[in-house]
Amino acid sequence: MLQIIIQGLLLSGLYALIAMGFMLIFSIGRTLNLAYGAYIMVGGYIYFWLSQQLGLPKLIGFAGAVAVGAIMGLLKHRLIVKPLKGDPVAVEISTLILAVIMQSAVVLVFGDASKILLPIIPGVVTISGAQVTYNIVAATLMSWVIILALYAFIRGTHTGRAMQAVSMDQKGAAISGVDPDRINMITWAISGGLGAAGGVFFASYTQLSPGMWVAPVIISVAIVIVGGIGSIIGTLIVAHIIGFLEIIVVAVWAPELRGVFTMLLIIGVLIMRPQGLFGREEH
Amino acid sequence: MNALEIRNLVKRFGGLTATNDLSFDLAQGESLGLIGPNGAGKTTVFSQIMGELKQTSGTITFMGREISGLSTPDRIARGISRTYQVPRPFTDLSVRENIRVGLMPDSLRAMIFGTVDRAREDEIAHSVGFATTDLDRPASELAMGDLRKLEFARTLATGAKVLLLDEVFAGLTTGEIAMIAELIQDLRGRGFTFLMVSHDLPAMEPLIDRAIAIERGTLLADGSFKDVLANAEVRASYLGEA
Amino acid sequence: MPGLAQTLFITASGAGMNLRPHHFILWALFIAGMLLMPELVGRGTLRTMVFACYLAIFAISWDILSGRTGYISFGHPFLVGIGAYTTAILTRRYGFPVEASIPIAVLVTMFGGLIVLLPALRIKGSYFALVTLAVMELMYQLVPVVRPDLTGGTRGISRLPALTRGAENGYYLAVCLMLAVALFAWLLMRTRLGTALWAIGQNEESVRGSGLSTTRLKSFAFLVSAAIAGLGGAFYAHYLGTITPRAFFDINVLFQIIVAVLIGGAGTILGPIIGAFFMVFLLEWLRPFLPGQERFFVYGAIALLIYMYQPKGIMAIIESGITRLRGART
Repeated sequence: MLQIIIQGLLLSGLYALIAMGFMLIFSIGRTLNLAYGAYIMVGGYIYFWLSQQLGLPKLIGFAGAVAVGAIMGLLKHRLIVKPLKGDPVAVEISTLILAVIMQSAVVLVFGDASKILLPIIPGVVTISGAQVTYNIVAATLMSWVIILALYAFIRGTHTGRAMQAVSMDQKGAAISGVDPDRINMITWAISGGLGAAGGVFFASYTQLSPGMWVAPVIISVAIVIVGGIGSIIGTLIVAHIIGFLEIIVVAVWAPELRGVFTMLLIIGVLIMRPQGLFGREEH
Repeated sequence: MNALEIRNLVKRFGGLTATNDLSFDLAQGESLGLIGPNGAGKTTVFSQIMGELKQTSGTITFMGREISGLSTPDRIARGISRTYQVPRPFTDLSVRENIRVGLMPDSLRAMIFGTVDRAREDEIAHSVGFATTDLDRPASELAMGDLRKLEFARTLATGAKVLLLDEVFAGLTTGEIAMIAELIQDLRGRGFTFLMVSHDLPAMEPLIDRAIAIERGTLLADGSFKDVLANAEVRASYLGEA
Repeated sequence: MPGLAQTLFITASGAGMNLRPHHFILWALFIAGMLLMPELVGRGTLRTMVFACYLAIFAISWDILSGRTGYISFGHPFLVGIGAYTTAILTRRYGFPVEASIPIAVLVTMFGGLIVLLPALRIKGSYFALVTLAVMELMYQLVPVVRPDLTGGTRGISRLPALTRGAENGYYLAVCLMLAVALFAWLLMRTRLGTALWAIGQNEESVRGSGLSTTRLKSFAFLVSAAIAGLGGAFYAHYLGTITPRAFFDINVLFQIIVAVLIGGAGTILGPIIGAFFMVFLLEWLRPFLPGQERFFVYGAIALLIYMYQPKGIMAIIESGITRLRGART
């Protein structure tokens, strides 16, 4: 029981982190950014390359991954989203193409086989019979630090509030002196960085493989939509629902069915209540 | 029989009341002007009559039958249709094809196996003032005035005999206004029923038998055009006179 | 039977399809050209063309729903997969003859799609795309676990009965199937129904405002799309001889289908065919220069560049080229 709670909390924290970066973009442009998965994948691989293949300190590996993710986000905004003028279908499709390109790029550089990421912090602690690695505890703590920092940034800083304003009303924000273009750029960069950070932890939780990006993308889109677009609290709650759901299914049923119920939940909620469990109805 | 009977219609959006206990009748063959300032809730009334918005309470009776439970296409099939204040054309389709969509019966079988009635398409297009050379132009190339004519044509094509016109004159030249006015007069002569909204009161006056005025969703006056405009409340709200 | 032929002709020319003599000539040329291919090219090329034909069938299927109505389906591999798995299970596990298993596979695909995806047509835009993507991922996870005795688990099902022997016959079957599907879709899209579907993609509210039940129209488009996907999937499974979950319920399959449509030109019949052949042959041409994974990288990059340059695809590029040539002559 305790094991389920601990593991549920840990996985949920990870999902919340991954979903945050996605939420930023989705709440601004209602863009289904499928290439978000590419940040997750590239983040994991860059960390692997810097810290495991080059043997650099882990912190540098992590910083490198976040930096590359942020740059990818920036480039995507410049080269794809802006030229397409935010046409949602075109962006959706071009991000799908981009994600597949990134996947083949990863295969090209690192090969097709999956790789095991060494734990970021080695060691195991046993809590009432449950084996919990320090690594996943660290991942969850980091997730929470990043989520809280993001929350403080959005609520507390000028740029953060401007991001919120743009997400509610692009034109209105422009009238009140916010440059939506600059804010969009910043948002895409932060989203890329968050995705890459989430990718490092996600990879250390599962493993590195070129196809690893699909499931987290679907889960993060689902968390964001089911949680209600733009609602940080809703995102957190749904991340926990999905995290616990998966852990419970694995513990009491069968590990293979892990994703099945998540997908069923997503499909069900989207069809019955497209505005999400905690969102307002959009006009 | 009345074409349309609106009884105690209420529509609330959260705390805002867009339609407030509104009741009025529209007789068959009659032409009724709906006037009121911007934001008075005129378009919201149209949307409820057509079923695009569900009213909070109240009844909408069309030709003696309560239609609140029917979908928009079902209401149109019964003979009532509307135009939109902002035209909503199919931009990649030609003028002719836009009208064709309006003419189609709501039956897959008929859509697949039925024939295209090009003569009828031409007739409708010409009646709102399109030239033959316009018929194959895509709607994306049309100017505002033409889009409004196209909107009217597509609504006519649905075959409805009761038409709700939302700002049909906006953005039209004087010549085009005269042409649309003549078409409306012609349709009135043929027994069509109208409920229309327009800011161009002089253009609307000769086209209507009666007028009602609303403000903030509430009925202010119902009567002849002159009486309604003479009403003190209407003058206060609509014309800004105290 | 002169009556039937006459009726057919009158239905085709008199009904909304508006057929002209040059249509018959162009189709005849296209069909003849495709059927003459085995005389002109080698066996290796023929095998590549078979893949292109099946991809074109899937692309046409996707285009009928997504290219026209604007409801982007990320779940088409799911439909193709149901068709493939149904015929595979029926023939290999229950000994059905293919004559029965393929029609059943088509029906099962329509039915399965109906149950799973029809509710999704109520929701719009990205939400529809997401639900279809989740359905595909769901199938990928479910198929190996539920009744592995039937589905063969992750290893899939092998030794499916072959429908043809030899490269040439395989090609004839694939190309005839593709031509039949293309002709059917072309005729259907020339009717008023095709116009209505196209109109939904531009302004769904206006279609409802014109008195048409958009739910019925979308459902119909979806069923036709599912039937073609199931048909293509079933024949493709028998051509391959072996099917696995990864070969069907996969984002790369989805990628190939969508890219074929977009590169060729959505909302046309020739577009998805051109797109499918272009992409399949591009991959083949790249093989000698880039034997490894680089191919897929270059392939994806070319797809992205063409899409960014002209979202309406090769068809639009050709059309504007023709217009420019005509302009230069006059």
